[in-house]
Amino acid sequence: MSDPIGARFAPLFAPRTVAVIGASATGITPGNEFIRHSLALGFAGKIVPIHPTAASIEGLPCARGFAELPEPVDYAYVAVGATQVPAVIAGAKGKLRFAQVISSGFGEIAAGQALDAKLRAAVAESGVRLLGPNCLGTYSPRGRISFVGGSPPAEGAIGIVSQSGGLAVDIILRGAQRGLGFSGVVTIGNSLDLGPADLLAFYLDDPATRAIGLYLEDVKDGRRFFEAMRAARGVKPVVLLLGGQTEQGRKAAASHTGSLASDARIWSGLARQTGAAMTSTLDRFLDTLLAFQTLAPRPGAGTRRVVLFGNGGGTSVLAADAFARAGLSVAAMAPDAIAALEALQLPPGTSVVNPIDAPAGALRQDEGRVAERVLDAVLRLERPDAVVMHINLPVFAASADQRADFVENLVQAALRARSRHPGAAHLVLVLRSDGSAEVDARKRGYRARAVALGIPVFDEMSQAAIALAAVAGFERSAGSTG
Amino acid sequence: MDLAKRLVAAARAEGRTALDEVSSKRILVDAGIAVPRGVVGADPAAAARAAATAGLTFPLVAKLVSPDAVHKSDLGGVRLGLSDAAALLEALEALARLARERGLGLDGLLVEETAPAGCEMVIGGVVDPRFGPVIMAGLGGIFVELFEDVAFRVCPVAPADAKDMLEELRAVALLRGARGGPRLDEAAVVAALLAVGGAGGLMERLGASIRSLDVNPLIVAPRGAVACDARIVPA
Repeated sequence: MSDPIGARFAPLFAPRTVAVIGASATGITPGNEFIRHSLALGFAGKIVPIHPTAASIEGLPCARGFAELPEPVDYAYVAVGATQVPAVIAGAKGKLRFAQVISSGFGEIAAGQALDAKLRAAVAESGVRLLGPNCLGTYSPRGRISFVGGSPPAEGAIGIVSQSGGLAVDIILRGAQRGLGFSGVVTIGNSLDLGPADLLAFYLDDPATRAIGLYLEDVKDGRRFFEAMRAARGVKPVVLLLGGQTEQGRKAAASHTGSLASDARIWSGLARQTGAAMTSTLDRFLDTLLAFQTLAPRPGAGTRRVVLFGNGGGTSVLAADAFARAGLSVAAMAPDAIAALEALQLPPGTSVVNPIDAPAGALRQDEGRVAERVLDAVLRLERPDAVVMHINLPVFAASADQRADFVENLVQAALRARSRHPGAAHLVLVLRSDGSAEVDARKRGYRARAVALGIPVFDEMSQAAIALAAVAGFERSAGSTG
Repeated sequence: MDLAKRLVAAARAEGRTALDEVSSKRILVDAGIAVPRGVVGADPAAAARAAATAGLTFPLVAKLVSPDAVHKSDLGGVRLGLSDAAALLEALEALARLARERGLGLDGLLVEETAPAGCEMVIGGVVDPRFGPVIMAGLGGIFVELFEDVAFRVCPVAPADAKDMLEELRAVALLRGARGGPRLDEAAVVAALLAVGGAGGLMERLGASIRSLDVNPLIVAPRGAVACDARIVPA
């Protein structure tokens, strides 16, 4: 066990040989799904379906059992009836490194306790490291394996551990729509053997992973988890989405993964102690991860001073409230910055104090290039920690004036301003839609391009505020480490 | 074996549901938390004599020390503001009578000096089934009970964590001169939090041998903080 952790987990995240137990020669089971989605991702290693009778499954020649296989298998996807699982694991002794057990009916139900004990014994005896049971699988773009159809092939920087398999599907697919890219998504279900602390330690060490997201209902080994979280403090951002934080949620978690959730107040204390960001909804979890994926944490005391720049007076006021609630300051800019903005002679109706509230007409001036001069002045003279640019898209989409693609120009302007003032401030974009098909379609394109260029895009100002506050929290914990 | 472990082991061996106040306070003192100056006597006369010999300063507090009196203040087992020797003796006799009438075991009678005026704080430690020892802090009796204004941390807490626990409390203003009051000794509170929940603190040392440890109240004064009552429940 003295191998570096990256090497120990390589067979899981980049397996060369994969066994699938529970795929069908005639139907489509989760095992078949796993084979097809992994092949669709371009899995280039060897897949061996293990089946008692079938000659081939999904066009791949079958084996009868691990005993037949000449060399050890890196990863096995096990989706057979729960009662068969302990024997499968016991029979893989010396022939298998990681098994992911999809089957349920173990510790999460009263009638499954005996089976749970049998599986535990099989794990101990065989030396196989086990994920699950009661989970859905692993998505690893670097290893080109996935249990979810439509998983993006691109390798990303967000490492996920999810106790729930179903929620991991949301994380992968909804996350991808927002521009999140993953270094891995591992579902752990009951975490009978490997738990969040193990995977957290892997991601912490993994050079491909920039930030870590955890969906948890419970940690079986709380002390080890706490130590792993402490080790991550200030090193890599960790975003927590916790289930079972209320009495009602606790009961749901108990029957979902057999969890015994600790007091929500202990969790929130642990998050403060370890510098982790706590989120309470999937959307906030994804937004916060997006901020960490795109924004490089700024050294020092932590992001606090924010300049808001966009169209919409009421939106600016509501945003100032949202940022205040998130602990971020939207304060009047320095006199020289204000003077520089006034010198730009923006049209009447423009407010340049902060929030910089510019009507659409003002933003559209000079094909939108006025925005670049505004950003330049702000970054050069005010030097805030973050600039949040916000656009009410329908105003531009519905305008008679379609000569220039203003939003595209704004993004390009932001990029040029960023390159002239490297490391000056976090740049964040909020694209507000009316939900119409046309505007949403445009927004999708803008979002994809901006996120790819390192500018996070949010749907609403309040979401940007929450995500930016999480970045600020990480910056503070990084600043106070050591 | 250190004093804390020894006293907890003794209480467990005797099958006590909780350590008595005197033992709990000895453990706190050993960990570096101040408690009021006090003496214990087996009966009213002995307790009064011991108080006089020790030169305790009036006004004094008299308390029943009983393995059966879990909520001693509810029972009338605490007498406050005893301003002279006669009042003290009368209170001690009343406590002994109370124990007899209610059939409560009598471990002794505790006489203590009155704590300085200040703000009430609660420090609690519990052993969570998942995270092991955790520590809780709350401030200003009513805020803790009514508004659940408390902060938790997993042990061991670092000094920065202990300070951050106070920052998390809405009632922290009470320590900082709210409503015209004096600024109270935050450093003493941080020291008490670390004595209970810090590295090598009581929670870490006692670990799974206890279920909970409560310092309630810790009176925080402009200089110092004093644990006026304490309760340790063995596992």
